[in-house]
Amino acid sequence: MAEITPNEVGITDFALREHRSLWYDAWRRLISSNTARLGMFIVALFVLSSVYAHYFWPYEPKSDLDYSLKLKPPILAPTEEIESAHYFGTDKLGRDIFRRVIHGGWNSLRVGFVAVGISLSIGGLLGLLAGFFESTPLSSREHIFLHGLIGAVLSLLSAWIANQYFQAVLFAGLGAVAAIYNRFLAGKPARFLSFGLAGAIFSGAPALLVSPYIALVCAILGALVGVILSQPLGGQFLSSIIMRAMDIILSFPGYLLAIAIVAFLGPGLEKGMIAIGVVGIPVYARLVRSVVLSVMQKEYILAAASVGEGHGRILSRHVVPNILSPIIVQTTMGLANAILSAAALGFLGLGAIPPEPEWGAMLGDSYRYLASGAWWAVVFPGLAIMLSVLGFNLLGDGLRDALDPKLRII
Amino acid sequence: MTRYLIRRLISVLPTLIGVTFVIFMFQRLIPGDPAVAMLGEHATQENVERIREQFGLNRPAFLDREALKQGDWAGFFDSQYFRYLGRLIRLDLGDSIHRRIPVAETLALRFPATVELALLSMLIAVLVGVPVGIASAARRNTWLDSVSMIGSLIGVSMPIFWLGLMEIMLFAVFLQWLPSGSRLSTGIEIKTITNLLLVDSLLTGNFEGFVDALKHLAMPTIALATIPMAIIARMTRSSMLDVLQEDYIRTAHAKGVLERIVLFRHALKNAFLPVITIIGLQTGTLMAGAVLTETIFSWPGIGKWIYDAILGRDYPIVQGGTLLIAIIFVAFNLLVDLSYAYLDPRIHYD
Repeated sequence: MAEITPNEVGITDFALREHRSLWYDAWRRLISSNTARLGMFIVALFVLSSVYAHYFWPYEPKSDLDYSLKLKPPILAPTEEIESAHYFGTDKLGRDIFRRVIHGGWNSLRVGFVAVGISLSIGGLLGLLAGFFESTPLSSREHIFLHGLIGAVLSLLSAWIANQYFQAVLFAGLGAVAAIYNRFLAGKPARFLSFGLAGAIFSGAPALLVSPYIALVCAILGALVGVILSQPLGGQFLSSIIMRAMDIILSFPGYLLAIAIVAFLGPGLEKGMIAIGVVGIPVYARLVRSVVLSVMQKEYILAAASVGEGHGRILSRHVVPNILSPIIVQTTMGLANAILSAAALGFLGLGAIPPEPEWGAMLGDSYRYLASGAWWAVVFPGLAIMLSVLGFNLLGDGLRDALDPKLRII
Repeated sequence: MTRYLIRRLISVLPTLIGVTFVIFMFQRLIPGDPAVAMLGEHATQENVERIREQFGLNRPAFLDREALKQGDWAGFFDSQYFRYLGRLIRLDLGDSIHRRIPVAETLALRFPATVELALLSMLIAVLVGVPVGIASAARRNTWLDSVSMIGSLIGVSMPIFWLGLMEIMLFAVFLQWLPSGSRLSTGIEIKTITNLLLVDSLLTGNFEGFVDALKHLAMPTIALATIPMAIIARMTRSSMLDVLQEDYIRTAHAKGVLERIVLFRHALKNAFLPVITIIGLQTGTLMAGAVLTETIFSWPGIGKWIYDAILGRDYPIVQGGTLLIAIIFVAFNLLVDLSYAYLDPRIHYD
């Protein structure tokens, strides 16, 4: 009897199949998509050219000035009159626009990357905490820490009024006690009363040294803090505080907040990075929280918790690796948005300080010359902004399809 | 439903207080003394003191603990922030530093120009974006779908100020078809009723004025409409594709219902909910986008005014304008939530 091997009948044995990781699969899906490849190409082009220009193509913006070459249209080859080629023409100070676009990329992309880095690290951390502790009971040590922290923070107001900052330490202690003795008179009005009284004394008594009026206000505030601390404040509380703060930032439309912040801080690339980064925080906090909430419903989290893994380990080994793909997609698209916002700031004169090259600022410098026909000074920097943003958006779209085929709308 | 409405309205209050808090904090971001910022470098010490007194800049930021020490309760709350809130309630946004006129008055005067621009842009964005989205969903993976989706991706990536400049270059400088800058040509007048020029000219039967206003609106509207149009098209497409996979659509097809009726009566109704969300949110965002668009087209709305104020360091205008736009944005978010409660019968809110 002849032996039949799987190969002969064209069946691939699952065990014999070449091993491929999830990320390798995603990579194969990514490079098989035309749009994603185009996006990768554009992004690589901009990143590489600006990095190359920054390190290997010296440019001194402060001394770059030649009025004899003012607002010349693109010249592809040197002529007798003009000794060097200007592929994109020259601007109002006779500066070569091609050179400034390439060098401007370094500034524009840097603002985007740093801003997204700020939003992602702060927003991601807040979202992770909110999502994780909303769906997991706190361990007793975390309870003590959280209560102590809430006590210290809430008591800052009365501590400030009395100018006695040691009160915060007292309330941190009160919070910790409330967390340790969380069964003490649980659910009874006596619990409110005792903690409220303790709070009133902790804050009011030392404040008596300052003035009786201050003591009265401090006692009332202290009693309130005490009552709040007597409640079983869990992860829900932490999460709702974080998310309410995010809602306030989100109630300003997009880059208007960034524009306003920089308008008051004064122009500068670093300030722009911070402003755009702060504005982006809630986007990541919300995204990460919602993804974490869905991951926390999975059986493998339950399994990890039931074999006794600690919260730090569950977070780092099980939660974070499983929320990476939506974050990667959002970060890529966020880069596109951050570059757009940075260009808008630059255009309004709130970004790079001239003569430093930056795409938005270059547009803002030159658009008044459009009426006299100097189209090249406006077309090329704008094209650079649009293409780089398009590149990140294309890449983000491709990454979404590659990383989560289920989300893909065919 | 009523209870939900009331609860939702109350939940806006903390947000609004947060917004005023953030905008109040702007003032503290100004490097140096705000009184000096208002008067300029060469102000005399006397004038600086007078301004500090007048604007309450010598008061503490939030609460006065020194006053409380003496038992002065009114003094305890007499701080910059509470004074700011008190002025806001009286609709007093302060005076412009350079022109010494009330910010609120000018805002009210310039606001209709922005509203006209934003609403017309949104109208165009919906009228183009929704059909394009439906068409690409119905003919998915055809050239029509690819072209419109690539187009919308380019639209999302477009810096609107640059798009505006390109329009000016093409239509105003090279072709000279459309005027750029301001709301009307010189010599044409429209009697002011609502200060929305299109409405006013129709009400007074001023056809020439209507056409002229429309010509001036054309370029800024298209620039401002591009991004929401692209976003709405993408949203409509993906929402329609979601719904088209439902069983009841297959049933409708199996029963032999016309494709047209399946698309518009069965699918669109259910696919429209997320689209409405996007439309609401984008309308709020449009107001912010107006800062850039109005600057390009010298449009006399609040956006251009904020831009000029940023350049002139006229901080009360920046604060007042930002506050107005933020409140409109919050209001649109609220409207979206409320429309959900009304439109989606599956959601019960009490």
